[in-house]
Amino acid sequence: MRKIRIRTENRAPALSEESFWNRRRAAALLAAVCLAALVCVTAAGWLCREQAAAVDFSRKNLPPCLDCPFGTDWMGRDMFLRTLTGLSLSIRLGLLTAAVSSAVALALGTSCAVLGEWADSAIGCLIDLVLGIPHMLLLVLISCAVGKGFKGVLIGISLTHWTSLARLLRAEALQIKSGQYVQTARKLGKGPLYLAVKHLAPHLIPQVIVGMVLLFPHAILHEASITFLGFGLPPEQPAVGVILSESMKYLAMGRWWLALFPGLLLVLVVMLFHVTGEMLKGLLDPGQTHR
Amino acid sequence: MKKKQMVLWMACAAAAFMAACGQKAETRSSGQEADQETGQEGGQEGSQEAVRDDVIVVMGPTSEPEAGFDPAYGWGAGEHVHEPLIQSTLTVTTPDLKIDYDLATSMEASEDGLTWTVDIRGDVRFTDGEPLTAEDVAFTYNTMRDTSSVNDFTMLKEAEAVDEDTVVFHMERPYSIWPYTMATVGIVPEHAYGPDYGQNPVGSGRYMLKQWDRGQQVILEANPDYYGEAPAMKKVTILFMDEDAAFAAVRSGQVDLAYTAAQYSDQEVDGYQLLSFETVDNRGFNLPAVEPEDREGLPLGNEVTSDIAVRRAINLAVNREEMIQNVLNGYGTPAYSVCDKMPWYNEAAQVEFDPEQAKTILEEAGWLEGTDGIREKDGVQAAFTLMYPAGDSVRQALAADTANQLKQIGLNVAIEGVGWDEAYDRAQSEPLMWGWGAHTPMELYNIYHTAPDSSLAGYSPYGNPAVDAYMDEALASSDLEASYELWKTAQWDGQTGVTQQGDIPWIWLVNIDHLYWAKDHLKVAEQKLHPHGHGWSIVNNVDQWSWDEME
Repeated sequence: MRKIRIRTENRAPALSEESFWNRRRAAALLAAVCLAALVCVTAAGWLCREQAAAVDFSRKNLPPCLDCPFGTDWMGRDMFLRTLTGLSLSIRLGLLTAAVSSAVALALGTSCAVLGEWADSAIGCLIDLVLGIPHMLLLVLISCAVGKGFKGVLIGISLTHWTSLARLLRAEALQIKSGQYVQTARKLGKGPLYLAVKHLAPHLIPQVIVGMVLLFPHAILHEASITFLGFGLPPEQPAVGVILSESMKYLAMGRWWLALFPGLLLVLVVMLFHVTGEMLKGLLDPGQTHR
Repeated sequence: MKKKQMVLWMACAAAAFMAACGQKAETRSSGQEADQETGQEGGQEGSQEAVRDDVIVVMGPTSEPEAGFDPAYGWGAGEHVHEPLIQSTLTVTTPDLKIDYDLATSMEASEDGLTWTVDIRGDVRFTDGEPLTAEDVAFTYNTMRDTSSVNDFTMLKEAEAVDEDTVVFHMERPYSIWPYTMATVGIVPEHAYGPDYGQNPVGSGRYMLKQWDRGQQVILEANPDYYGEAPAMKKVTILFMDEDAAFAAVRSGQVDLAYTAAQYSDQEVDGYQLLSFETVDNRGFNLPAVEPEDREGLPLGNEVTSDIAVRRAINLAVNREEMIQNVLNGYGTPAYSVCDKMPWYNEAAQVEFDPEQAKTILEEAGWLEGTDGIREKDGVQAAFTLMYPAGDSVRQALAADTANQLKQIGLNVAIEGVGWDEAYDRAQSEPLMWGWGAHTPMELYNIYHTAPDSSLAGYSPYGNPAVDAYMDEALASSDLEASYELWKTAQWDGQTGVTQQGDIPWIWLVNIDHLYWAKDHLKVAEQKLHPHGHGWSIVNNVDQWSWDEME
């Protein structure tokens, strides 16, 4: 008896260690690290936004060096700080637009389920309509219509990115709606708002969170591309799209650093978001809980 | 196994070799074609030593005339003035920007300035063989008056052909600088003018339009029946490219002359030299000179720049030489007015860089330094936004450098890129980085003279009755040379004006040199001061360009 007890005591820590580093925990840790990195970039960019806009003609066109790891441009602006600030702006913009997009998607998705058939087909139509217009085109249109600049980009991206998530949530909501407890609640005379908040939302929230994180990279890339095309932020703003479109001109002159580093950092940030999103999906999606 | 590998390697090598040869053969054959083509056109059967008589010139995409080669829709006239090449004009501007004759043989204004009588040559034919008569001239001017979308012709009542070679212009009001207008209007044939004239222009100028591929190129061919000296360059090809594409074309040796910007000036390209031409293509910003108010929903005036002390301090605190080094890599000249180096420029506009004096002026006017180094007066911060057209990197850099320099005397300037759709309206209340410079004193009038039915000028709120009066008098003068003096007095008469001692409602910074990459053997004829617009001006005298014998 005693022997066996000792054995179990000895084995217990080993077992717990093994189970501690299961995939779920590893995924959680990875997601946390990614998030921390993104928060750092955002904060750093926000803090040095003053220096990032500073123009100093005494140090123009420097290749990468210790003082300026990403070099400087033709106005002597530090490209490292500019890139950081640009990414920070992108991330904050991404956060805002992704939040708005997923809120819209959640609202429309649940309305589909609880407001009856006519609402469902109307919203379905709307989704198809928005999906049918090329993304960039719609973005440029909306952004120009509301007056370009930061506001234009914000509204443009918010209003164009909710469609696929809305479609996903609608399917999910319709499925939940056919559950017996929901039907019972309805028979008992509960209104659509009650159903949506009490019964549908709790099931949909995890999907929304994952969807929101996965919207981030889209939002950021679209912010960069619309600004690259000249419909977004004004050129003195440190934004990734502005940096990239400006640096295109200088490639022919051999100033490769202006495009390379900001581009790489943009890819890195987008990948961080993607990894975070995938990890969260693994953690929150009931279908993957036991992997 | 080894054998197999060998065979594979050899096959690879052979393929690579063949590909390379193929390419070489291809380029050589296309080169031969090009040689033959130019040889035939020049009448010299393609030998290598033959001196070329064609030239390939690159301009920016905005230089392509959108509405074609019709003077009524901007060809040669309007914002970017140049000689129309395909058409002849009555007068031309000389290298020192005075007036000489092209079609005209004499011109005379009546004492009251209300009629201009112009005699024209009788030996000129359009390229379709028809003679150019006074009727065509009158038709051209009456058409311009009715349809021109780019120029103001409201001063012209009617053009009348009194005989074969005499035109009389009846004016609505005296307009002494009419010869400068005559230098920009290409004469079109009455018998061949219609809605599609822009695409198929017929003129009597040095060149004929041979081919126009929209968005790509324009090919001009010398007019064999030209009444003046026969063009030395028989064929001129104009390509339209962005700055970086133009530079790439230069690096690959495909073009003979290409426009470029100061940012490229530190590059070196084998076989090319960097040509730099002085200009009146100036950059400067307006300072709204009235107190803020609301006019029909639009803000007008600015509480900081409406103080004359602030405007004078800014003009002294701007270090133009440093700006030229910083932004233009040295390729520019300081600007003190909108018309530097023109016959009507008043040298009283010139100022020395003096930041200490600028600070004193501000102190005396009550703008005192606050804790953050920014000056204040009665709770108003000495701060404003300086706008620049988004997408113009030179103006952006000038704005940024201005902001840096003005910070030294305690003015806080923020810069903002804006589109032209809102720039004009916002310039009524905030400074904007402009580009001006034309071969006519009318520029002064447009900027400083009050707009019709208003007490303020159109582009930036400012008004001075004395300045207005001098310019009105200059326009009413019957003697062009004498009117130059009046234009000068309008800028500064010893008491009032638009210079440093006067109201200084605009700050002028630099004249931007126009830069070009040109093949070493290409001899570009002497240029007159280029106006605003880095485009067709360079080919004003392409007929006099030549190639050195060495090629």
